Amino acid sequence: MAVRILLVDDHPIVRQGLRTLLEGRPGWEVVGEASDGIEALDKVEVLEPDVVVLDVTMPRMNGLEACRQIQQKKKASSLEVLFVTQHDSPQMMREALDAGARGYVVKSNAARDLLEAVEAVSQHRVFTALTRSPHAC
Amino acid sequence: MKLRILLADDHEIVRRGLCSLLQKREGWEVCGEASDGREAVEMAKQLKPDVVIVDIGMPYLNGLDTTRQLLQHDPSFKIIVLTITDSDQVIREALDAGARGFVLKSDAARDLVAAVEALQSKRMFFTPRVNDLVLAGFLEKGHAISRTQPPDLPTLTAREREVTQLLAEGKSSKEVAVLLNLSTKTVETHRSNIMRKLSLHSIRDLVVYAIKNNIIQIQMPPQLRTVSETTVV
Repeated sequence: MAVRILLVDDHPIVRQGLRTLLEGRPGWEVVGEASDGIEALDKVEVLEPDVVVLDVTMPRMNGLEACRQIQQKKKASSLEVLFVTQHDSPQMMREALDAGARGYVVKSNAARDLLEAVEAVSQHRVFTALTRSPHAC
Repeated sequence: MKLRILLADDHEIVRRGLCSLLQKREGWEVCGEASDGREAVEMAKQLKPDVVIVDIGMPYLNGLDTTRQLLQHDPSFKIIVLTITDSDQVIREALDAGARGFVLKSDAARDLVAAVEALQSKRMFFTPRVNDLVLAGFLEKGHAISRTQPPDLPTLTAREREVTQLLAEGKSSKEVAVLLNLSTKTVETHRSNIMRKLSLHSIRDLVVYAIKNNIIQIQMPPQLRTVSETTVV
């Protein structure tokens, strides 16, 4: 299945790492990158991705706020948000899901969990993974 | 002959990004990847890379102590420290540990290639802020900033700093003993010495000390500022 992905993280080197991982999957395309929440909102409008891979802690506008605003804007679009973050915390995961995200992956496990997570959220299924307990439903 | 680079960062996704960046350069190869400082020290001893790139915030052994141990083993190692912050204290400690390159993680895509090139040419590479601080230290104090020691640090031995990090990461004395290949009794002795030297009275005090002295690093989430979350980054 073709999936168009927008990467949002303030560290270019992390975006590069995510890109190399995602682009190895046939049919998946990284259509753009953003370095903060405000830039992410602009790129969501223009690029209309299927999945936004979003960091939490970023300058100007953090990922949680960006996610809330994406949910308000997305209307009938099938876009889904997946957080990839350093915060290995149930509280933060709850905040992310409350903000409208469909998935939550901890950055230290991204290489293990990211492909499965993108696949799940692109099919509108929830995927959450704290430390060693990935869970898709 | 290829320039051989060893990468040490606990996040595989960051290592992938760094690999992708560095391997685009003809004649450069990433000869190894380590996910913590202890692994980096072992790999560097075996692989003898031309350049070692170490993240500061790694589990088991942070990047600063990794740098110290590597240079103690072989002073000719060329080491670049990757960091999320360029606070004065971190800069001082990195220089004091012997790093000859200092790159902010947020700027790695822009600066890292230049940093490796500098070290390859037997030069140093620092961010503009580090350069300013070094120059200010030289002008104001008449000596290089690398001579400046943070007040708390010199009292601990290298082994005690390792034990401090592992205890601050939440490991028990028994777990520390297994990781460092020591007896539990020896670890308990180190623990008592650390607490006595630093005038600390509890593990909580030890964690605070470790955070203040960049032995471990914390990151506060944006919406949950009251939640104390300790994360090695």
